[in-house]
Amino acid sequence: MIFFAILVLVFLMFSGAPLFTIFSGLTLLLLFTGQIDSSAMIIEMYRLATTPILVAILLFTFAGYLLSESKAPRRLIGLTDAVLGWLPGGLSIIALLTCAGFTALTGATGLTIIAMGGILLPALLRGRYPEAFSLGLVTNSGTLGLLFPPSLPIIVYAVVSKLSINQLFLAGLLPGLLMVLLLSLFSVQRAVAAQVPRTRFHRNRVSRAVRDALWELPLPLVVLGGVYSGFFAVSEAAAITAVYVLIVEVVIYRDIPWTQLPQIMRKSMILVGGILIILGSALGFTNYLIDAEVPMKMFDLIKAHIGSPFLFLLLLNVFLLIVGCLMDIFSALIVVVPLITPVAQAYGIDPVHLGIIFLTNLQIGASTPPVGMNLFISSLRFEQPMVKIVRVSIPFILLLLVILAIVTYVPWLSLALIR
Amino acid sequence: MDRWEQIDREIDRAEGILLVLLLSLMIGTAFLQIVLRNLFATGLAWGDPLVRNLVVWVGFIGAALATREGKHITIDLLLRGMPQRTRGVIERLTHLFSSVICGLLTFAAIKFIRNEALMGSRTFWEIPTWVPGLILPATFALMTFRFGLRAFKPLSLQTHRTSEQSKAL
Repeated sequence: MIFFAILVLVFLMFSGAPLFTIFSGLTLLLLFTGQIDSSAMIIEMYRLATTPILVAILLFTFAGYLLSESKAPRRLIGLTDAVLGWLPGGLSIIALLTCAGFTALTGATGLTIIAMGGILLPALLRGRYPEAFSLGLVTNSGTLGLLFPPSLPIIVYAVVSKLSINQLFLAGLLPGLLMVLLLSLFSVQRAVAAQVPRTRFHRNRVSRAVRDALWELPLPLVVLGGVYSGFFAVSEAAAITAVYVLIVEVVIYRDIPWTQLPQIMRKSMILVGGILIILGSALGFTNYLIDAEVPMKMFDLIKAHIGSPFLFLLLLNVFLLIVGCLMDIFSALIVVVPLITPVAQAYGIDPVHLGIIFLTNLQIGASTPPVGMNLFISSLRFEQPMVKIVRVSIPFILLLLVILAIVTYVPWLSLALIR
Repeated sequence: MDRWEQIDREIDRAEGILLVLLLSLMIGTAFLQIVLRNLFATGLAWGDPLVRNLVVWVGFIGAALATREGKHITIDLLLRGMPQRTRGVIERLTHLFSSVICGLLTFAAIKFIRNEALMGSRTFWEIPTWVPGLILPATFALMTFRFGLRAFKPLSLQTHRTSEQSKAL
């Protein structure tokens, strides 16, 4: 009977029923069979919703949406162009850096492809970069910033796995930088091979671009400085970021008229509401799984076939890539993390390192053929057939897989800064 | 235009206004707290609980709005590449299911409120804790209504948008 109900729920889940209703259904079912009052679930949900982390999620999301609606992306590109444009392949490095920064702030990879790609792709083509390379670049740099603070997926991972946000923020830095660095080298090589013309360095342009973006420059300091120095709590850094961005974009630059604010608030809070309600409904389910020792049973099963942590990590990567390709990042985190974390810990894998492996995998999975979400978004945004988007993405994905291997098998990269 | 749809639109307008007011109040209070704490080494005793309760309100109103706009996080693997008509039937089915679940959650939330009221605990400004908690049964009831509305919507009003498009927009 229970088995049948679970089967129906799984079918509904993959047919597009909102994830939170599936989790709620499961939890209610479990509570009912355990003869526990269903209000227990609401208690958990309410408790989660009133934790300070939710304040951070809400405010960072709002700040990210404000930035994406302003002309900040344009100024950011202008500035990096003035500073780095003279390098061979300069514009492609700019694309990588600005996309990473933007995704870190907004936490939504689709948004980066839509907001930044629309400006960067024409610029790359004008700069005589090969079309295939440019298209691949804007499609795959959309996910690049997920490992940098204050990215929303890191915060959600911390909530689900009950790790410290600050530690995860630190752990993501080196792997994230490695990713940007290797992709930049690859882009430079491509640009040199295609004989892309270089632009000259103008001091005047730099000073003008700096003046243009003067108010946005302290932003990383506000976000990172506060969090890393430990001077502010994460929720406080989020509040300062939100107020700062609000003042800069609405009052100083006047990119966003006051009348547009309600619409931006609404859009961002719809995302927050969606995440909040899933987290709240998954909590009860997770607790049940742990009580029923499901992860330990899974571990025994896996242990019987896989002896070494090396092989386990390999299989984990393949599994997560498939998950990342099929699901969006938030649902993937909420469904899979509670199941895998105890198993991985039993293999002796550091939970923080595991978090970085998770996020890297899901990030790459989102642009993995055949059904990675970023490929669809890119195909829609740039009006190109899917087959073409997949073809141009392959070199980038291969390189990202190499980086994934490094991140997976060199735990030092993730753990150096937190020890 | 359907009468129920009209009602839903009015609720949506009110929600939108409430959301803007509460979010502004929340950002203001959170920032004021930081200024007071760091510059004046003081703080409002009711500041933090107020902010946290506002998060609950704003978040759950956001969830109700997500229901109206079809923006909840979903995994619709099976729907991709299905013929339009089969899709329509399955979508109604999932909406009906979601409506039932939200109905059960509304019921659970009402019980939660009743228990809180019986315990008589209080939060900031001596407000009983069940008062801010009211947002849960309210928004769950609204979601029950909205999913129901979509499950029983007449065919002519059904909008066909693929999941990829709606996610990209």
